[in-house]
Amino acid sequence: MKLQVIRQRAIWWTISATIIIAGIIAMLISWKQIGAPLRPSLDFVGGTRLQIELDCTQPNNCDKPINLDAVRSVLDAQGLGGSSVQIVGSEQRAVSIRTVTLDVDQRSKLQAALSEKVGKFNPKTTQIDTVGPTLGKQLFSSGLLALIVSFAGIAIYLSFRFQLDYAAFAIVALLHDVLITVGIFSILGLVLNMEVDSLFIVALLTIVGFSVNDTVVIYDRVRETIALNPGRHIDDVIDDAVNQTLTRSINTTLTVLLTLLSLFFFGGETLKTFALALIIGFTMGAYSSIFIASTLLALWRERTGNTISGSAEPVNSIEP
Amino acid sequence: MARQRSLLLFILALVAVAIFVIVKVPVRLGLDLQGGSQLTIQVKPTAEIKKITSRELEAVQRVIEGRINGLGVSEPVVQTVGDDQILVQLPGVSDPQQAERVLGGTAQLEFKAQKPGTEAGLGIEQQYRQELVAKQAELRKAGDQAAIDDNQAKLKATDQKIGTLFESSGITGKNLKDAFPETSPNSNGWSVAIRFDQEGGEKFATLTKNLAGTGRSLGIFLDNGLISAPSVGVEFAQTGITGGGATITGRFTAEQANDLAVQLRGGALPLPVEIIENRTVGATLGRDSIQRSIYAGIGGLMLVLLFMVIYYRLPGAIASISLVIYSLLTFAAFTLLGVTLTLPGIAGFILSIGMAVDANVLIFERTREELRAGKTLYRSVEAGFFRAFSSILDSNVTTLIACGALFWLGAGLVKGFALTLALGVGISMFTALTCSRTLLLASLGVQGLRKPELFCPNLPAKTSEVAS
Repeated sequence: MKLQVIRQRAIWWTISATIIIAGIIAMLISWKQIGAPLRPSLDFVGGTRLQIELDCTQPNNCDKPINLDAVRSVLDAQGLGGSSVQIVGSEQRAVSIRTVTLDVDQRSKLQAALSEKVGKFNPKTTQIDTVGPTLGKQLFSSGLLALIVSFAGIAIYLSFRFQLDYAAFAIVALLHDVLITVGIFSILGLVLNMEVDSLFIVALLTIVGFSVNDTVVIYDRVRETIALNPGRHIDDVIDDAVNQTLTRSINTTLTVLLTLLSLFFFGGETLKTFALALIIGFTMGAYSSIFIASTLLALWRERTGNTISGSAEPVNSIEP
Repeated sequence: MARQRSLLLFILALVAVAIFVIVKVPVRLGLDLQGGSQLTIQVKPTAEIKKITSRELEAVQRVIEGRINGLGVSEPVVQTVGDDQILVQLPGVSDPQQAERVLGGTAQLEFKAQKPGTEAGLGIEQQYRQELVAKQAELRKAGDQAAIDDNQAKLKATDQKIGTLFESSGITGKNLKDAFPETSPNSNGWSVAIRFDQEGGEKFATLTKNLAGTGRSLGIFLDNGLISAPSVGVEFAQTGITGGGATITGRFTAEQANDLAVQLRGGALPLPVEIIENRTVGATLGRDSIQRSIYAGIGGLMLVLLFMVIYYRLPGAIASISLVIYSLLTFAAFTLLGVTLTLPGIAGFILSIGMAVDANVLIFERTREELRAGKTLYRSVEAGFFRAFSSILDSNVTTLIACGALFWLGAGLVKGFALTLALGVGISMFTALTCSRTLLLASLGVQGLRKPELFCPNLPAKTSEVAS
């Protein structure tokens, strides 16, 4: 099997553009609906999340699943009517409540009322997350800053190891991966109410670090092929480089996906969204390295008339 | 060959050390895995103190440490974060209500006068309190929570009793302008100098005049706990200590003097604190997520190993061995470096296993290419390692750049992830380039394994290669 990445580039660009546009539309819709391109968790906007589970060691405490209406009426009585409530756990004995930021007194009052109306809760399985609104903004801006810094760092390193145009297109490929992942999560946020937390920013950064790997390996091969055959056309060089590294790209992505899938299916609850983001991002990373970064580089060199690359020109100019 | 053998021995020794470390040194678990409460406290500026400096933050931290110690939690951690935040970790606390109540609010510093007729009583209570504090330290080492709580209650009762032995003088933290350690002029020990404002200085003079030479002490209380009880010399009986300042002497070491000064400063600060983040995970919940993550990790690793052996055959099997070595070394490095293992940290580790494979895949693909090009087995393997090196280096450096950005700019859990991933990437370079290589070259020394088809299936036969 030999992929004709250069000849088929119109197809790849169309596919990418379609997904990116779908993502952007989703972000616009969710901007209108919730005022943010993605559904933010309390990490970024602040709030209190309380997850409590019935204590089954108490007699008659676990006879029936938690009654959602009872929980809601408790919340209404405390003036927290706008909170979101979700029954969780395989036997419906746990409930997850997200409210505005509560201080310790408000929270204890809520907990006391809940255990009175709904049943005794086990403190050992309780999870409390409270984030103040200002801290949420802080977490968000530091995450964004980390993303920008790593982009810059990678660009500098690549232009130092390769050439400036290589670095530029590697960054384009990275933006592509990040944009698609964010777009898909925006769609998931609209459809499944999936939220993004600070781990999502970690996931984006990992995607950046990992997907640049694929691009670098292909570029490395392009550079090597050019050094061995200085007279070849850039399109052929890139086609060859992509095909020679194709098995490696697929196998590496596959092995990482194996570990991620096992995290997604068997890992702890908090890691599920994280693993999903990585699965999407890594797949896109391999795709963009093979189909986007390479073809863009070829197009750029065609346009700038730099198709026969590198050391070839000075050698040719000496010969006649 | 001799070099191979010594490398092989070196790797074996490393593995032995790693296993020893993993068995002997317990790994530090983050609060999200062992259960507990993590609180972030924001120190807020006021009209008087517009900017919070490290000196003020240190003083507030000391106040908070004092309050935490009053809770009887074992192994609490209090550290400063950035310019104006303090992070408090309370392992094993499932309901941080009490901690939150105690931690919020401004520090209360008071200078009080000992009531007449309590001289003997105070000595006894202080003696008793010291015993209780010593016992508490021992109990914490033993980790018996019931006994700790019991002892804590006794401590609290003693503190209250000591409190009743003193009466208010009207001097509070807001009258104290500064406190700092200094060397005593007439002895070689340390003392603590304190400075009051106008009102405080006048009240302090009256207070010391009343106490001078009576044998009763001046009680300095922080959050209702007695932190110092100096006596006032008889020479001040006429006027009291005037001039708005005083020196507390008492054979302090530099450290003790500094500690008292920091406590006094903390009590003098009118800085309000607010708990802006609370992450609490019940112990059972933590245990559940650690178990599931470990299963996920082992499951993922198994799948990867299986894939490698099926696809890459002999080199795949060898890569699997070096991946296991990789996992052992990385985990040992975590424990040795004291990395606190959090849930994202485990994810970073599992992810790094997947990424460690990448280096091996690069090398073996290269080896196969060389074999297909008709090179001998030995030279193909060598060329595979040699030519894959630049790709491996470039791709790992870029990952490390992303890790660096996460580590310097991220907070808390994010840092843990960046650290484990970066360590993993570093160690994976070593295992791929050293372990895989040494093991592979060693296996080439075994007659039965020296078959190209064990490295690459469907290799065109040598004869047809020549013919074409």
